Amino acid sequence: MRRAEILCAAALLLVAAVALREALRLSIGWGDIGPRGGFFPFWLGVILAGSSLFTLIQGLRQPRTPQPFLRQEALRPVLTVLLPIAGAVLLIEVVGFYLTALLYLLGYMRWTGRHTWTTTLLIGLLFPVIIFFVFERWFLVPLPKGLLEAYHPF
Amino acid sequence: MEALANLLHGFTLAISPYNLFIALLGVVLGVVIGVLPGLGGTSGVAILLPLTFVMPPASAIVFLSCIYWGALFGGAITSILFSIPGEPWSVATMFDGHPLAKQGRAGTALAAAFIPGFFAAMISVLLFTFFAPPLAEIALRFGPPENFAVLLLAFSTFAGLGRGSPAKTLASAAIGFLLASVGLDIVTGRPRMTFGSITMLSGFSFITASIGLFGIGEILASSEEALEFKGVQGKVRIRDIWEVLRALGRNAVTFVTGTLLGFWIGVMPGTGATPASFMSYGIAKQYSKHPEKFGTGVVEGVIATESAAHAAGIGALLPMITLGIPGSPTAAVILGGLYIWGLQPGPALFLEQKDFVWGLIASMYIGNVIGVLLCLFLVPVFALILKVPAPILTPMIVLFSAIGAYAVNNTTLDVWLLLVFGLVGYVFKKLDYPLAPLVVAMVLGDITEEALRQSLILSDGSLLIFFTRPIAAGFMVTSLVLFFLPALLPLLARIRGRVAPQKA
Repeated sequence: MRRAEILCAAALLLVAAVALREALRLSIGWGDIGPRGGFFPFWLGVILAGSSLFTLIQGLRQPRTPQPFLRQEALRPVLTVLLPIAGAVLLIEVVGFYLTALLYLLGYMRWTGRHTWTTTLLIGLLFPVIIFFVFERWFLVPLPKGLLEAYHPF
Repeated sequence: MEALANLLHGFTLAISPYNLFIALLGVVLGVVIGVLPGLGGTSGVAILLPLTFVMPPASAIVFLSCIYWGALFGGAITSILFSIPGEPWSVATMFDGHPLAKQGRAGTALAAAFIPGFFAAMISVLLFTFFAPPLAEIALRFGPPENFAVLLLAFSTFAGLGRGSPAKTLASAAIGFLLASVGLDIVTGRPRMTFGSITMLSGFSFITASIGLFGIGEILASSEEALEFKGVQGKVRIRDIWEVLRALGRNAVTFVTGTLLGFWIGVMPGTGATPASFMSYGIAKQYSKHPEKFGTGVVEGVIATESAAHAAGIGALLPMITLGIPGSPTAAVILGGLYIWGLQPGPALFLEQKDFVWGLIASMYIGNVIGVLLCLFLVPVFALILKVPAPILTPMIVLFSAIGAYAVNNTTLDVWLLLVFGLVGYVFKKLDYPLAPLVVAMVLGDITEEALRQSLILSDGSLLIFFTRPIAAGFMVTSLVLFFLPALLPLLARIRGRVAPQKA
């Protein structure tokens, strides 16, 4: 936990540094119409840097704790949720929303949930169809079709 | 009574078949969101926000606010029957609600959540109806310095009243503001913080951020513990309703305190229903004749938390509609919706968008009536949602989140950002960085910067302008006191501690 705390604060410090550099490039002074573009981001960068520095120092001064950021046995369940999400995001980019929904539901229900093929297929097919009618037809929200845009039947 | 005439007009709008249907749909979806532990009111409202793009603004606000009312009711169902909070604001409801349910009095516990919640909401809407117009009238006279001071107050309450490290609260808000500043400079229109990238010109959307931080982050965090929904069956019978009404009479003080406290906490920018329910529970316990029974299943424990939570939900919309400042994270997302619908939140709404404002207020009455009736009679149906196994629910919530994020700008970039924000949300949640300031800062970033820069233009660069104008000065002093409260309290305690031994 302590190491995660320190790493996170250091990462935020880095974000602050990037923001400060960009703010200085935009100039933080007084222009023709009041403060220039970098003025507001600059002070935010200062605040972020100050507060993360505080957290960082506090973390460093803290004694080592036995409690880890992620318990050994919790790693697996988190990854079984996280990796499919990441996969689905990638798939949406490539094959669009509808096919992703089908594949994601099929895969996740079948392998993590151990549901029967009947349930899996039923929900996997029904869900995208309902989504299509509710979003694309009823609320006129177009969903991503990926590289298959031209091949979509609708 | 101009307010009454306006309210009547609002009712005629709200009971049009289309708006009634929208309200019903919103409440049902809200209850579902409330019941599901992995899906909170804030991310739920954000996910469904794109659905409002095709609605007229007056219906869109009814839809979103009704989701909020529904979620307030729904959270209690999961807490009481399953001992898992459906929403953060129903954690305290669990303390006494679940023991009651285990004693076979689930119906009483549920009724004790819904009925006081409903009455508290009604009292709060009444307060809202008569407080909002005068408050807006005062706010109309605000200039940029006053606006900035009020905005600062919103963020100071986060740091001052929020639990956890003020440094982390500050960092979280600063990140939100920085993300909001990416894109075009609001005053000069020049690109900034985009690092030469064209995709970053449009900036970051608060919708993607709130779905990622609250939605995906929550899914990841809760995946660590394999949740098992072993619940108690519960149904509200007419007998339970009578019992609760009588209990309400006996505990009128607890109920009224909870309602007024909740409303006040809700109005305070940036806090909302969650701290309100905890505080109300604490007070009810402290002033009870039998505090030792709290936690074992006393009806007044549920009455205290639920009345405060519902009152706070309504209260949170008061500063949103009158000042353009959200009273809670969920209200922040609704406020962001106003910008998307092309409305300028703030006091001018009361003059220029009367239909919008009074339609919203009327729908608060209607939405809560729908909510309480649905919940009282359909609890078993809503509890069924939790019978759906996690392997089916998780992908569905993720897919809905992806739709919500994508629909903002119709780019898959937002879906990737969703993943990034989800990871950030997970890490932040584990390290106790509060997420609400980040989202609120993203929504309010542009108007805060504008108010600050305009004030400085007015004063030729002097910060004194915030202290020489009386209203602004009042807000500034209050926010400074609130901000340094966490630092001041231990100091005060130490001084008192030092004085006490000397006396002895």
